[in-house]
Amino acid sequence: MDFNVSADPPHVVEFRKEVATWMAEQFKGHEHLRWSASWSTREDAEEYKFRRGLAEKLGAKGWLFPIYPKKYGGADLTVDHQMVLETELFKYGLNLSHVFYTLARIVAPVLIRWGSDEQKAEFLPPITRAQICVWQVLTEPHGGSDIANCQTKAIRDGDHYIVNGQKTMVGHHLPPDYLWTLVCTNPQGKRHENLAWLHIPANLPGVEIQHMYMMMGIKNTVFFDNVRVPAKYLIGGENNGWKVASTHMELEHGGDGRIAADPLVERVIEYCRNTHIDGKPIMEDPRVRDLVADMMIELNTLRRFNQLIYWRRFAKKPHPYGGPQQRYYQRMLRLRNGERLQAIMGADALEQNLSVHEVVDFEYAVRTGPGQLHGGGTLDTDRLIFARRLGLGRPTTEKAPETD
Amino acid sequence: MDFNLTETQEMLKKVAADFVKAEVPAHQMTQWYKNKQTYQPRLVKKAAELGWLGMMLPEEYGGAGVSTMDCAVVFEELGRGPVPGPLFTSGILSAQMIFEAGTEDQRKTLLPTLCKGESIVVPAITDQAAYWGPQAVETRLSKTPSGYLMSGTKRFVFDAEAATSFLCAALTEEGKVVFALVDRNSRGVSITPHVGFFVSVAEVRFDKVVVSPDQLLGPSGASWATLEAALDKSLPILSAYQVGATQEVFDITCEYTRTRVVFGQPIGRFQRVQDHCVDISIHLDQARWATYETIWRIDSGMPARAAVHEAKAVASDGYYHGTNYAHMVWAGPGTDYSHPMMAHSVLAHTLYQYLGTPGHHKRLMMDALYPRAI
Repeated sequence: MDFNVSADPPHVVEFRKEVATWMAEQFKGHEHLRWSASWSTREDAEEYKFRRGLAEKLGAKGWLFPIYPKKYGGADLTVDHQMVLETELFKYGLNLSHVFYTLARIVAPVLIRWGSDEQKAEFLPPITRAQICVWQVLTEPHGGSDIANCQTKAIRDGDHYIVNGQKTMVGHHLPPDYLWTLVCTNPQGKRHENLAWLHIPANLPGVEIQHMYMMMGIKNTVFFDNVRVPAKYLIGGENNGWKVASTHMELEHGGDGRIAADPLVERVIEYCRNTHIDGKPIMEDPRVRDLVADMMIELNTLRRFNQLIYWRRFAKKPHPYGGPQQRYYQRMLRLRNGERLQAIMGADALEQNLSVHEVVDFEYAVRTGPGQLHGGGTLDTDRLIFARRLGLGRPTTEKAPETD
Repeated sequence: MDFNLTETQEMLKKVAADFVKAEVPAHQMTQWYKNKQTYQPRLVKKAAELGWLGMMLPEEYGGAGVSTMDCAVVFEELGRGPVPGPLFTSGILSAQMIFEAGTEDQRKTLLPTLCKGESIVVPAITDQAAYWGPQAVETRLSKTPSGYLMSGTKRFVFDAEAATSFLCAALTEEGKVVFALVDRNSRGVSITPHVGFFVSVAEVRFDKVVVSPDQLLGPSGASWATLEAALDKSLPILSAYQVGATQEVFDITCEYTRTRVVFGQPIGRFQRVQDHCVDISIHLDQARWATYETIWRIDSGMPARAAVHEAKAVASDGYYHGTNYAHMVWAGPGTDYSHPMMAHSVLAHTLYQYLGTPGHHKRLMMDALYPRAI
C-alpha cells in the first residue's frame, strides 16, 4: 500500500528537477497568476492569455500527454513522468487536465482508442499540443441524459455527412475549434447501432453557436444546418458511435482519475483564522471546527477515490464502479460543502469579490453545488450505471468500457 | 503509488477468510450475537494458534512482528464474520499499551501469555459512557500504607466478560490518570453485562479493590498519553475490522437484490433499492481508503495522529450508516435477531460508541491538525 504520489523512481529524479526549473522560469514575472487554474468566474484576460500560452509551451514539449508517442504530440515518457508533471504543476494550482479550456483530456484518449492511424496522426497533435480548443457537444434539447436517443442527423452523401440538428448546454465562453459529437446516421436503425461519432471543424458553413446564460456561466446552443462534414472526421467507423461514446463517457464520468487535491479546505481555514468574532478567530469556534472537519474528511475521501481511479487506470486494473461512484460522491459533496461554506462564513460565501479568494471563489464553490449536479448526465444516471456495474438485480455485471 | 496488497498480505487475508468461513458460519454467528454469547473461548484459542493475538508485537514478546497493514488485512477479514471476542481489545489495544509503557518485567511476563490467549487483558477506560476523554476517568486510586484502593464504575467495557484482568484507568490523589492491572477475580470486582442495543459490553465495578504498586503499568502507572500512543497504533486495526464488516453487509445486500423478487422482479431492478446500495458502497470505500491511507502513514513512519482519528470516525460512521442503508434493502427479515443483519446492526451501534463516537474523533482530528489557542 503506497499513497505517495511523489516517490520518484530513479529514472524520474532528474526529470522532476527539470520540470521544477522549467515551471519556475515560466512563472517568472507572473507569480501573481500562480493559482489562476480553477475554472472560476474570476479569470480575466491576462490570466487566460497566460494559461493558454503556458499550455502551448507544455504541449510543444509533449508534456501535456507525456505517455503518448511523440508522433501524436506526446513525449514517449512513462506514467512516473506523468506523475511528476501532475505534482509539479499542482504547486502552481494547475494540473494536466485543466491548463486551459479544452476537453483534450477526454478527447485525446478516445482518439487513441478509436481513431485510425491516419486520424491519430492528423487530429491528435493539435489537441495534445494545446493548439486548439475542443468542445464536447452531446446534450440535445429533448434528450437530456439519454444521449443515445440522438436526433441530430448525419446522412451520408458521397464522401461527406450532411449534419442537421441541435445540441444544447455545451461548451463555455471561449469559441471552439472542433466539435466532438454524437450523431444519428440511420434514423430507422436499432437503438445504439444507428450512431456515429464526428470530430467536426467548428468553422464549417452551417454551424451556428449561440450563448446561453446559465448558473455555472456561459453555455451554448450549437445549430447544425446542412453542415457538410468530410467523412474523414468519422471516428470509430460506421454505426460504432455508441462504443466511442461509452469510452468518452467513462472518462468524463469519473473514470479518468486525478492525483491533485482540491485546495478548498485550506482556503476555508485561512478565512476562519482571519475572521474574528468577539475578538476571537472563528477557527476557535467548535461549531465551525465541526463543519471544517466534515468538509476536510469528504475532500480527503474524494482525493483518495481520484487517486485510486488514476492508479487503476494506468496500472490497467479493472475498477468497474469507480467512475460512477466518484462522480456521484463528488457532486453530492459539492452540494454539502456549499451549505457548509454558508454555515461557516454567512453571506461572504455568496460574494464574488472577496480578496481572500486566492485559489477558489467561495461563491463559485457554493454555486457549483446545485449547478453541477447534472452536467454530462444526471446524478441518477451515475447511480444507474453504478447499479449495472455491480449487477444489482441482475445475474451478470456490466464491465467498464475500455479507456486508454 | 501502489494499491496492491503484498503477497504476504494476500496470504494472511486468505488464511483469515478461511478461518471465518470454517469457524464463524452465519447461522452460528447470529446465535452468538442474538444470545449475547460473544465470548467464545474456542475462537480465542484458534486465533492465538494462528498468531493473531499480539501479532504486531516483536517476536521476543510472543508476537509476529508484522506491519500495521499486515495486521489490518487479517482484522478486515475477521470483521466480515463479524468474529466476536477480545482479539482487538486484548490482542491489539492492551498489548500495545503494555508494550508502550510496561516495565521490561511486565512485558516479559504479561505479553507472551496474552499472545497465547492464556490471559485476556481488557482495557477499562472511562467511567462515563458519554465521553472518552481523560475528563471522564472518575475511578479513584487512594493511597494506603501498602499500596492503593481502587473504587469506581466503568460504564462501557467492551469484551469485559472475556477478561482475565482489566487494564484500568484511575485517578490518583494528585489528579493524574494512571493505569493499573487488576485481576478479574480480585475481591471487589463485579461485572454486570448490559442489556440493550449493543453487544459484548458490560459495566465493571471496582469496590475498594486492593492494588499493589507493582500492578501499576510501568514504573508509575504510565499516563493518558500512553493510551493515546497505543490508540495511534490500534485504532486503525479496529477501523479495518469495521471496513471488513461493512464489506460483508454490502456483499450480502447486493446478493439479496438479485434473489429477492417482489412486484414481479428482483428488487435490485428498482432504482430506489439501487440507491441504497450506492450509499453503502460510498460509506464502505470512504472507510476503506481512509483506513488504508492512515496505515500507510503509520508504516511509512509519517505523522499519523490526525489520520488515525479521521479513519476511526469514517469507519465507525461507515459501518453504522452502511448497515442502516442495508436495513432499507432487507426490510422486515433483516430485523429478525436470527438474521446476520442484526448481528451487524447491533455491532455497528456498539463500535460507533466504542473508544469514542465519530464526532469525538473528528474533534480530535481537528485538534491534532489545528490546535486550539485555549
